[in-house]
Amino acid sequence: MDHAPARSSRPYLDDLTRSLHTPLERIAVEHADLIEAVRRRVVTNDSVPSGIVAVAAFNSSI
Amino acid sequence: MLKVHSRCDLSCDHCYVYQHADQTWRGRPARMPPATVQAAARRIAEHAREHGLPIVHVVLHGGEPLLLGAAGLREVLAELRTAITPWTRLDLRMQTNGVLLDEELCRLFVEYDVRVGVSFDGDRAANDRHRVFAHGGSSHDQVRRALALLRRPEHRASYAGILCTIDVRNDPDRVYEALLAESPPRVDLLLPHATWDHPPEHPGPARTPYADWLGRIHRRWVDDGRPMSIRMFEALRPGGGGTEAFGLAPADVLVIEADGSWEQVDSLKTAYHGAADTGFDVFDQSVDEVARHPGVAVRQDGVDGLCATCRACPVVDRCGGGLYAHRWRTGSGFDNPSVYCADLLSLIDTVDAYPPPSPLASGERSATSPVDELLDDLATGHGSASTLALLAATQLSITRALLAAGRDRSGATAAWDLLVHLDQTAPEAVRAVLAHPFVRPGLVHRLDSSAPPGLGVAVDPLPALAIAAALLAGVPATLQVPVRADAITLPSLGRLVLPGLGESAEVSVRPGEFQVRGGSVEQTVLLDPLALPSTGWLPTRDVSVPGGRLLLEDGDPYRDCYGQPVESRLEVPAARALGRTLAEAWRVVHRDVPAHAAALDGGLRAVVPLAPDPARPLRSATARHAFGAVAVTPHPDPETMAVLLVHEWQHAKLGAVLDLYDLVEPAHGSRIRVPWRPDPRPPEGVLQGVYAHLAVTQVWQSRAATDQPDASAHAAHFLGWTRDGVDALLASRSLTAAGERFVGQLRHALEETRVGSR
Ligand code: SF4
Ligand code: SF4
Repeated sequence: MDHAPARSSRPYLDDLTRSLHTPLERIAVEHADLIEAVRRRVVTNDSVPSGIVAVAAFNSSI
Repeated sequence: MLKVHSRCDLSCDHCYVYQHADQTWRGRPARMPPATVQAAARRIAEHAREHGLPIVHVVLHGGEPLLLGAAGLREVLAELRTAITPWTRLDLRMQTNGVLLDEELCRLFVEYDVRVGVSFDGDRAANDRHRVFAHGGSSHDQVRRALALLRRPEHRASYAGILCTIDVRNDPDRVYEALLAESPPRVDLLLPHATWDHPPEHPGPARTPYADWLGRIHRRWVDDGRPMSIRMFEALRPGGGGTEAFGLAPADVLVIEADGSWEQVDSLKTAYHGAADTGFDVFDQSVDEVARHPGVAVRQDGVDGLCATCRACPVVDRCGGGLYAHRWRTGSGFDNPSVYCADLLSLIDTVDAYPPPSPLASGERSATSPVDELLDDLATGHGSASTLALLAATQLSITRALLAAGRDRSGATAAWDLLVHLDQTAPEAVRAVLAHPFVRPGLVHRLDSSAPPGLGVAVDPLPALAIAAALLAGVPATLQVPVRADAITLPSLGRLVLPGLGESAEVSVRPGEFQVRGGSVEQTVLLDPLALPSTGWLPTRDVSVPGGRLLLEDGDPYRDCYGQPVESRLEVPAARALGRTLAEAWRVVHRDVPAHAAALDGGLRAVVPLAPDPARPLRSATARHAFGAVAVTPHPDPETMAVLLVHEWQHAKLGAVLDLYDLVEPAHGSRIRVPWRPDPRPPEGVLQGVYAHLAVTQVWQSRAATDQPDASAHAAHFLGWTRDGVDALLASRSLTAAGERFVGQLRHALEETRVGSR
């Protein structure tokens, strides 16, 4: 089996809304791909292209 | 991928290890010797350390890894955890045929947090077509017993899913039902290994039997509401990101054989004898050295590493030329499309066509997917209440995913157990706490090993979250809560500052109050808003607005995420004054731009006061991690404040959208000239700018209609900025297809904004 997490760079709307109904305890197992996508997108920001606007203070960033 | 045992107790006739071209297993030791395990673990740790990798996935593989026995596996797992965990998060996996799985092994896997995938081909007839013992006997019962063990609640965390190799002679409905009956978290459907030299079997007249067979399962799966994750179908969706078998993501799998040699992906063994060889081993070569091996390097090239046919293929971003091994042909090597090309093309069509788009909504415009609807609705400039509710739900879901990721890192704790319990018994309370805008910045800070040290050591945010939820739910509970700078912050509720608390304090929740004991201090805090405030307790103040309760957040340490200084706790008169201004400004937004007001009602939950700066008295900011909050300098004029709120709320909405979609082409390094600043800006900044300016244009336009002095001049000014920004964005070629659509619609919204002359 391909154990690597999905390589999607973004969390899907479908998965996000579905996981809201998954008990906290089971999210890690049942939505492993989603967690990995969130980790990439939100925490490490792997997918962030160079030159992207920093997360904070849009007023000085726009 | 670690080949810890190179023999197997089954004798599957479709096995690429033993039955295909490569026969290198014959020369290898049966078990990976301890010194090899150690060397492999060190190489992985070295690579993680040198590159600061956030995570490493290690899959124990074979042959059959369970042949090592519980004691042998424990040694391997302990070695890996000891060597690698200090440097990175180690995600441990195992692939097994399940035959030998027993309770002791399950307990071991739970203990070492190993997720186990089991190979199982479906119903008895399907499974036993290939997956048999050497004497020809069935393995079906043993494998089902293994799956039943993994399904037990106490082992379920170690159940990764099922790997099913398909055979088009099997009945797809029965295979689907057999898989579903095992309630796997995930199913991986594998096409039988084949090459152009040895093409896949075509038992009947159908041109694309594999696509037809998989299409049948896809339909069942969609009709059933996608009850389990099926990797192949998810990966083939547009933007699905691929797997090893599809898509263009660089190959990031290396194999360590039982004798310590480095190899490329296993499935290459199906091509020719020695196809996966690199000539390197873990004793002499590092991961970086193997990664430079030409066979590995070519697979990092994305679309450029594919043959001409694939490069020109309209679905190459999703198919990626299929599994590397399936491209092999003697003579041209791997420079071919997949031998399954026709099936892959047809399967992508099938996945796209089902479920069919719903009937035409208005007769002229084709129905759009929820994705498009969400973007289209926000491209009107504001977004409806239901769109805002959806955005807020996705943000909450992201926070929950971060929470689960944190649990992954630190293991189960009393705080986690309490949150899990409350999530079941008082979900509204947990939801209310997690929706607080500054929960996510705390979780991200905790998870991000590379976060700047500005906020100091990241304390574990879970205990305070759990206590806050218990307080809201009125559920008695006791936890140790970390103390930072003499303070404990209970998100959305307030902050307790008591010098002498020490590093951590015991917090007990009781009806209407909580008690804190730490260091030399013991204190009971009453939550009754009418009671005299307890010493050291600084409740979060709020003001009532049409959207509900708006927090004046001047206590949570994670509010400091705006790249500029935030104000410390406001004195009572200042807080009252700001509250009045905000409530009044909110009414102004309702008066000027009701559509924007509805979006504000739907999501703005907290306002953070920024520290005053005489040089720049009027400032405001939004932070990507803190949806639901904006930061402003406490300006006294509600008309001005209304503009700031509308402007910032646009950024918050668009930020939430950018968590979900790529609107700007990744890695597009271009800079765009904009009218509102002298220096060229990155595309995402311009997008944020036009989205905010569009809303501000609408505010001034509405004020102009009531003859407010200067309003039409302001409206024309912002309209000009927005138009020029939109045009520059569209001309820059820096947007994705979704981005073009979004900005195109913004342009349309702009055309409908009519304000005198430009
Ligand atoms: S169980 Fe796996 S390794 Fe063993 S023979 Fe079957 S396919 Fe090959
Ligand atoms: S294998 Fe076929 S379907 Fe896949 S990318 Fe190549 S040409 Fe396209």
